[in-house]
This record gives sequence, C-alpha cells and structure tokens, in this order.
Amino acid sequence: MATRVLLCIGTKKGLFVAESPKTRRRFALRGPFGAGVGVYSALIDTRGTPRIYGSSCHAYFGMKVLRSTDLGKTFRETKSAPAFPKDDGRALANIWSLDAGKDKKDLWCGVEPAALFRSRNGGDSWELVPGISNHEHARKWQPGNGGLCLHTILRDGNRVHLGISTGGHYLSEDGGQTFAPANKGVGAGFLPDPFIEFGQCVHKIARHPDAPGRLYMQNHGGFPEHPGVGVLRSDDHGHTWRSISKGLPSDFGFPILVHPRDPDTVYVLPLEPATRTCPGSAPAVWRSENGGDSWQKLAQGLPKKESYFTVLRDAMDIDELSSPALYFGTTTGQLWIGRDGGERWECLFDALPPIHCVKAAVV
Amino acid sequence: MLPRLAAVHLMTRAATITVHIPTTLRDCCGGASKLALPATSLRAVLEELERRHPALHRSICDDTGTVRRHVNLFVNTDHMRDRNGLDTPLAPGDVVTILPAVSGG
Repeated sequence: MATRVLLCIGTKKGLFVAESPKTRRRFALRGPFGAGVGVYSALIDTRGTPRIYGSSCHAYFGMKVLRSTDLGKTFRETKSAPAFPKDDGRALANIWSLDAGKDKKDLWCGVEPAALFRSRNGGDSWELVPGISNHEHARKWQPGNGGLCLHTILRDGNRVHLGISTGGHYLSEDGGQTFAPANKGVGAGFLPDPFIEFGQCVHKIARHPDAPGRLYMQNHGGFPEHPGVGVLRSDDHGHTWRSISKGLPSDFGFPILVHPRDPDTVYVLPLEPATRTCPGSAPAVWRSENGGDSWQKLAQGLPKKESYFTVLRDAMDIDELSSPALYFGTTTGQLWIGRDGGERWECLFDALPPIHCVKAAVV
Repeated sequence: MLPRLAAVHLMTRAATITVHIPTTLRDCCGGASKLALPATSLRAVLEELERRHPALHRSICDDTGTVRRHVNLFVNTDHMRDRNGLDTPLAPGDVVTILPAVSGG
C-alpha cells in the first residue's frame, strides 16, 4: 500500500530525494547523490519494487546512470551508461530523459546529441535504438539553446512519441522500430516558413494514459509574427496539432503536465520568451480544465513581484494522490509545492542548487 | 616456457608503468590509487584500461575513444601534448598521471 510521497530533484550539484508521508505537510531531504555533478533526468520507477534512476552528467568524466533500490537512501552506478558505437562519430553529451518501458527492467533513455537508447536489464547495459537515432533526419537536426536533446518519451502500446529539440515530434507505431515526423500544425517560429516537416523546437509533450490519443505540447513559442505556436493539442495520436494558447500571458514555456485523473486538465508555466522568466516577474502556473479552451491563473502563495527564475522542461511534476499536488523547481534553487492541484503554493526548499528536473511518485 | 632471453625481451617491449588515479575516479577501479600496467605507449595504457577497467576508461575517453577535453594525461611531469600525444613512448618505471582540469562554479 502506498504510504509516502517521494520527490527526486535533479540539480546542478547532484540528485536530492525528498520524502513525506501522504499528508505532504513536511518533506525530509537527503542527498546530494552524485555530489557536485549535474542531474538532468530522473525516474521513480514504481513497477514492482520501486527503483529510482538518475543521470549523472559530469562535464569532465562523462555520463553515468545512478540507481537506488532503497527508495533513494543510497545510489550506485549501473554497470554501464548509454554510449554511441565507437565508429558512429557521435559522443554522449548529456542524458535528458529516463522512462519506464514495457517490462519491469525495460528502460528508455533520451540523450544529447538526440538519440534513443534502451536497456532491458534496469540500466546495466544499453543498446542504441536505430529507428530514430540513425534516422535519415538525425544529422539534420540542430541544437537549440539547451543542446540537441531527445527529452520526451511517451509510450502507448506500440506507439512511441518522442520530443526532440530541435527535431520536433516523432512517432513510431511499430513499437519503436521505425519513426516518422508528425508535426502537422507544430510551428517553428524561428524559420521563415514555420510549418515544416521536422526541425521544430519542441520543449515537452504530455498526455494522460487513459486518453492516449490526446496529447499536449509545449512548443517553442513567443513569436509575435507567429502567435499561438507555443501551446498545442493533438486529438489524433499526434498526427495533427492545433493551438490552445489563447488566454495565456505567454505561449513560451518549458514544462507541460496533465492531471493524473483528468485528461482535460492540463498545466503550463508561461515564461517571457526573451528572458525565460515569469511574465511581470510574478510566477504562476496556469491550468485549463477543458483541454486548453480556457485557462486559469494559479498563483496563491507565489511571489507577486521580483522573481526572475526559469522553470526548465522537466522541473515540474504532479503526484497521484486523490487531491494531487504540483511541484516545480527553479533555476534559483527553490522547490515549490502547489497543494490542491496548484490552488495554494508553498516553498518546500528555498536554497537548493539550480534545479533541472523534479519527479514525484506515491510509493 | 619462453627462453630466458625472449622473456626479458617481452618485458622490455611491454614495460610496466604506473598509472596514478585521481580520487574522483578511484571508484571506477576498485578504489585503487595506482595501477601497474604493461604498456609501451600512452595509447596502449588506454587500451589496457579499457580492457581491465572499462568504467575508468569511459571516464577518460568519450564514445569515440577521444580523451575527454577536461582530462589531462601526464607522462612523468610532461603533459602528453608536450610529448607525442597518445603515441608518446613509455619506458619501464614511467609514471602516467590522470588529472582533471581545475574547475570553478
């Protein structure tokens, strides 16, 4: 029986784990694990005995994958990390995404430069997924400001959705054997012709597992000449997309989330495109309860002025309790909890290192 | 069994050198601070490390086999770039030191 909430907080200086009873009144913090080394992705794998994974991306010594089998009390390095074949010519620069696959020890991993790896033994060995990693487009993708990264992996039976910045949204309908770009309606506002086959700067994609045909995307928006390309929705498994950004203060942002029990409820955190900080220096999460037709601002408890942080693409998550809480981490090292689905915000930790990713799970 | 002279010759060809491991990488080789390896060049040291301690090798070289940008290899007191790079020959008793660049932030 699930009795506690775990948060994994990937930071510039290592991985932290925060734990609380289901009341979520107080969280105890432990870490940093992989101290001093940046962590851009984490996974709390609740299939069977929970396992926690974190990437540890050392600027000098390369990539490692950390694994914990005791709910984040200790971590050990897996036997190997993803690596390109020696004759490939590419070298791993970062690990951006760790996701659970079909079987208990099946893991998927999105990396920089954009490529996909898969492990069938809980991260002890990895194989390149050639259908996307060696796709004919792969050498044409361009890095965005954050690097050329494969940051989103969403699975739905034989469908696999990938988000690549800047590559766009790629879809496999054969379990990951082959991939095709699926970006109809996804704009690349930084190009003269924004509606291209691939090359969009997708920031994050989300969906509810019970409504897999509906996807939400936070794309790179903030282009006055191409309004509305930033927040999008698909109702046909990602084949076509339409704007749902009307009513938001900015269509630029990084994270996007779906409520754990309501596919119509979606959350974004709008940012000013020029500064990547919150509009008016007043942070707010915005929620739609009708699939993006309209939006409400959720800011009670958040600073009303003089806040100039960024919330990165994987730095916001939501737990699965009956009244779920949202969590977001900032580049200024604050971890916020939004109780009652984001209605009331409170700072849990205010002096962590810059936060790259936040993952929540009930275990 | 090799004749005595042939054995001596092989020892000369594959000189035993000492590799100093920085503290941050000792977990990759069972906690050892020094390793004794047979090698006649710096490249051969890396090949031997890849065979014996693959995690250590991955920390020194990237996926393409190139020495990582912020990892420095010294032969005795000389940086490899001031000798002959990875083709720097090694003699018995030489010391190879692995040192990360200094960092801030």
